[in-house]
This record gives sequence, structure tokens and C-alpha cells, in this order.
Amino acid sequence: MAGSKPPALDFRGVGKAFGDTVVLDDFTLTVAPGETVTLIGPSGSGKTTVLRLAMLLERPDRGDIRVLGESITNVSAKESRRIARNLGMVFQQFNLFPHMTILQNLDLAQRTVMRLGRSAASARSIEHLEMVGLRDKADCYPLQLSGGQQQRVALARALTLRPKVLLLDEITSALDPELVGEVLEVVRKVTAETDITTLLVTHEMRFARDISDRVVMMDEGRVIEEAPPRTLFTKPSSPRTQAFIRRVLDH
Amino acid sequence: MTWDWQYAWSIMPALLSGVRETFVVTLAAGALALGLGMLIAVAGWFAPGRVKLLVRGFVELARGLPILVLLFFAFYALPQYGVVLSPYTTGVLVLGVVYGAYCSEVYRGGIVSLPRGMWDACAALNLPRRTTWARVILPMVVRNSVGALGAYIIVIYKQTALLVTIGVPVLLTTAQTAGYASYRYLEPYTLAGVLYLLLNLPSMWMVRALERRVARGGF
Ligand SMILES: Nc1ncnc2c1ncn2[C@@H]1O[C@H](COP(=O)(O)OP(=O)(O)O)[C@@H](O)[C@H]1O
Ligand SMILES: [Mg+2]
Repeated sequence: MAGSKPPALDFRGVGKAFGDTVVLDDFTLTVAPGETVTLIGPSGSGKTTVLRLAMLLERPDRGDIRVLGESITNVSAKESRRIARNLGMVFQQFNLFPHMTILQNLDLAQRTVMRLGRSAASARSIEHLEMVGLRDKADCYPLQLSGGQQQRVALARALTLRPKVLLLDEITSALDPELVGEVLEVVRKVTAETDITTLLVTHEMRFARDISDRVVMMDEGRVIEEAPPRTLFTKPSSPRTQAFIRRVLDH
Repeated sequence: MTWDWQYAWSIMPALLSGVRETFVVTLAAGALALGLGMLIAVAGWFAPGRVKLLVRGFVELARGLPILVLLFFAFYALPQYGVVLSPYTTGVLVLGVVYGAYCSEVYRGGIVSLPRGMWDACAALNLPRRTTWARVILPMVVRNSVGALGAYIIVIYKQTALLVTIGVPVLLTTAQTAGYASYRYLEPYTLAGVLYLLLNLPSMWMVRALERRVARGGF
């Protein structure tokens, strides 16, 4: 069976600059189907950009990116929409639609992208809200919820579309410390109970160690080192990784 | 000349009919302005470079010219080219188009200043462009612009007074007619001023209440 399935995500020599700022420089990374990979690295090292490129929110300047074996680098808008259907992303700032109820937030894409009817969509929405423990908030508006609750809704919203690949960009960084746990618990559950592929960025090192199959250390737009979490956190080979981990653990 | 209550009372029915007409014109011109403004903003957003320039030119023209010039042009010059519009239609169209241009700027600013995260969320959910605009972007822009748009509706309400020049029976016109009929001007114009103000204050409060409501989220 090995080799029969293409990688879920495949970055090959990807370069990306914003104006004069080179953000990614020859970035190469492969994520296997079902794998959970965590990107760590100092602020500005390009982690967010990696996820945004995979989600097709940005275009690479150089190199090739493949999602489930299909290149997303030189495709039409229509093709990229089709490929993006396999991807879901959750952001640091939740990005819920503030003018819609929680239920409407979850229904919208199911109705317009999956083309489900109203009742079918709502039934699935409720299921997903139940999964994140927020069924009773269906008729609330996002701003009536705590940050942790909003982020759980955002996770549920992304999952309603059944993505094969989930991209999580520092989803607990904007939360008060006491709300971090409830969000990570949902991620833990999803990655454990489904065969979803997850590429995430987090500064929660304990969480990264528990959940990841592999941890990737980035610096200045490149991969410095990648290894299973136990190896990378206990005996990192690069001095830059050592310094970074020591700095993060101090906080 | 002293204030004559009896006379003041006698012209009230005429003034109130002017109030009703003022309302009708304000609602019609306001609706036109809000709709047209949205159309201009969205068209300007999607249009290719040259058309965009055209749209901008139109907006600058509508905002730059005195309303009276447009009003007289539409009412006196256009008929010479076979376009004959009633005073009411002329007034609604001119006010609607001019404030449509102003509103389009409000919408445009609203679109530009929408957080990038909203666009990202739409793209990450793979929403079609139509859905993105119709269900997320424009509803949010309208909500964020309630204050500015409401302020323009109130300006339209005041500017309906200009329509006295082409004979639309708005409040100022009815006051003027009453004055000419009796050679007494103190009462009609004072009452007109008081009525304009009385109706204006609640509208301003309403706009502010609406703004607060939107700021609380939801709605
Ligand atoms: N849209 C953008 N325009 C300009 N610069 C950007 C943009 N996005 C990211 N950058 C810059 O790219 C660099 C890397 O950003 P990012 O990928 O967010 O890193 P990280 O997530 O690791 O902190 C930063 O210096 C940031 O300022
Ligand atoms: Mg980042």
C-alpha cells in the first residue's frame, strides 16, 4: 500500500515574498494522509504563510504546492475552488460572521457549497455544535460567546464541510489562558477520531508534543529541522531549535 | 408684526400636507440613493480599470456640482431634448443620484476597511463569490455604515427644501405658498423650521440607536 496514496500536502521548493520581504525561501515539506504535523518557529518565520498558501489564500512565487497529489500552483480559479474543497482552515481571530447566528454561520457553506437543503444543513450544524459542546448556543450571535466558544464554533464550521486537510493557525493565541484547554480538547478529539490530516501552528508546546506525529521547526522561511515530537523536544539537533524551545518553555 | 396664532393654526393643514410630501420624497430619494450607491460601489469594485475611472468620474461629478444646477438642468434643459419629467420625479432622481454618489463612497470605504479575516473566512469555506458578497461582505458593510448612511438620509430630508425651486409641494413650498397668499411670512417659515427640526431630531436618535444596536453585534 505504501506509495499508493499521494501526500496530503506537498510543498516543493516554495518561495514567497511580499514586496522586498522574503517570507519563504525554498520551503519543502511533505505531510502524509492522516498525519498531524505541527509547525513551530519564531514569529515572522513564515508559518502563517505556509498555511495560507496551502489554503490558496496566497499564491507562491516559486516552487510547487500539491494538495492530495494535485498541483495548485498553475490552475484556473475553477480548478482551485474544486481543490480547495478538500481543505479547511481555522484562524487565530476566529473570523466568525458577526451578523449571523452560530447556526447560520455553520449553515451557510453547507447550503451554498454542499448545496444541502435548509433542514439537512441545520441538522448537520447541530451535530457539529454538539461535538464541540455548544448546541445550546445555536441561536446566539458570535459576540455573545467567549473567545474559546467562538473558536470552537469556528472549528465546527470548518468541519461541516468534511475537509480532508485541516489547517490551524495559532487557534489559541488570541484566547485567555483559561480558555485554551477547551479548544485544544476539540482538536485532540477530531484528530484522534477521524482520519483527517492536520497541519497546525501553535505555541502550546505540551499540546504539540501530545498531538503531533511530527514537529517541524521553521526559521527565516525554511525548515530547519523536523522530527517526531519526543525527539525534537528532548534532543533537537539544531542550535536554533534548542534556543527556540528553551525560550518558549521559559514562558 | 406680532405672531398671529389664529393664522398660524389656519395654515397648519397645508404645512402638514407638505410634511407628508417631504417624507415621500425623502423615502423615495433615500431608497434610490442607498440602492444606487451600493450598485456604484460594487460596479466600481469589479469594473476593469477604464470603467472604474468612468465610475469615479461620475461620482466626483455628482458630488462636485451644486444640486441646484443639476435640478435646473434636469427640469429645464432636459425637456428641450424631449425628456419631460414631473417635478416630483425630477426631484427624487436628482437627490437620489447625488446622494447615491455620496453613499457609494460610504460603501466603498466600508468594503475596503472590512477586516481581511472576513475575506479569508469566506475563501476558506470555499463560498462562491456571489454568496461571499451577498451574504457576508455587503451585509457587514451596510451594518458598519448605518451611521454614515443614516446621516445622508437626514441630509436628503433637509435638502428636499431645494425642490421648492421646481415646485414640488414639500414643506418649504407649502410654507412659501401660504406666505404669498396672505403676505404674512413670519408664521409659515417659523413653523416650517420648527417642523423640519421636530422631525429631524427623532430621526437622528433613531440612527444613533441603530448604530449602537449594530455595535453590540448580532442583529
Ligand atoms: N500580506 C502580507 N503583506 C506583507 N507582508 C506580509 C504579509 N503576510 C506576511 N507578511 C510578512 O511575512 C513575514 C512572515 O509572516 P508569517 O507567515 O505571518 O510568519 P509567522 O506566522 O511565522 O509569524 C512577516 O515578516 C510578515 O510581516
Ligand atoms: Mg503567524
